Amino acid sequence: MVAIITGIIGIAAAITIVILIRRDHLNVRFGLWWMAAAIVFAVLGLFPAFFDNIAKYLGVAYPPVLALTIGMVVLVIKILVMDIERSRSAIRLQRLTQRIALLESDLREMQGKPNEANDPANHGELDDVRSK
Amino acid sequence: MTNSSEHIQADGPSLSLPHCVVIIPAHNEAEDIGFVIGEINKHSNFPVVVIDDASTDNTILVARKAGVVVVPLAVQLGAWGATQTGLRYALKNDYDYAITMDADGQHLAESLPALLQPLIDNEADVVIGTCTRRGSALRKIAWSVMKRISGLRLEDLTSGFRVYDRRAIRRLAAWQATLLEYQDVGVLAMLQAAGITIKDVEVEMLPRRHGISRVFYSWTSVIYYMSYTLLLSFTKRGMKHKN
Repeated sequence: MVAIITGIIGIAAAITIVILIRRDHLNVRFGLWWMAAAIVFAVLGLFPAFFDNIAKYLGVAYPPVLALTIGMVVLVIKILVMDIERSRSAIRLQRLTQRIALLESDLREMQGKPNEANDPANHGELDDVRSK
Repeated sequence: MTNSSEHIQADGPSLSLPHCVVIIPAHNEAEDIGFVIGEINKHSNFPVVVIDDASTDNTILVARKAGVVVVPLAVQLGAWGATQTGLRYALKNDYDYAITMDADGQHLAESLPALLQPLIDNEADVVIGTCTRRGSALRKIAWSVMKRISGLRLEDLTSGFRVYDRRAIRRLAAWQATLLEYQDVGVLAMLQAAGITIKDVEVEMLPRRHGISRVFYSWTSVIYYMSYTLLLSFTKRGMKHKN
């Protein structure tokens, strides 16, 4: 019974991922990872004997502990990779913000109004993406 | 844009340092920025660039009224992000030297000759204006721990009153420096690793005219800053960069 439930959870996760990719809520690149995770979950859920054998081979007395440990390690690695990607995205965003600011200042100079006081850009009217 | 005949006029010997720009990162400094620009104009002929770090007050307006170039960041990047924008500006406009000063009036324009002298004498590539007297006991303990862990031999690691030569500007305008949040240990370690000579010069500094520090604004921010800096000091220790 437990095998069926965990198997169903895995299959449901796989279906959710397909739907998320179809609706453009999830990048295919990340979808690949989650799809693999869902498949592993479904297979191990449906065939727990497979995992029990591995645990016995490794000398783990209680097989679910092995599953939880592996799951935890994989999650930690995934989170670390996510933070590496986040750092890269933060750099890209920062470089772009800097470049836009430099171009904006160039543009004002080219328009010949570098220091006009009654310009909307002086009063924050153009701050559509400004973070608070 | 580059003016080739800048001279520091007041106070002491007349110093010649062509192609030099003053960068002022500013976040909500409308009250002081005008005064700071006025002081710089009084003591030098250097062009001034204000990097507005997404201020919500009239910083941009006041700076433009003072007749300087304003580079307006659409998203707040923090003190270092804004300073790096200024260094990218300096690189893009072919300046050979960039001076960075705080917008809150702590750094005195009359100290500019003292700050620039080691560059003119070819004693250093980067000069930091330091004021070791300004730190509280706690800050001094923090500095000494940071120095010990990072292996940096400088008096005041956190001072934003600096002058960078072109090689330092190029290094700090690069992609690798964008990941940093503060301009102290990470920036200095990066310069030192690139074989750039850093010298510190004792200068006068005033207390902030208005507002509070952007780094030390709450206990949480101090704890975050210290943990960040300690980890960075530890990981960057003895690092060598290829030029």
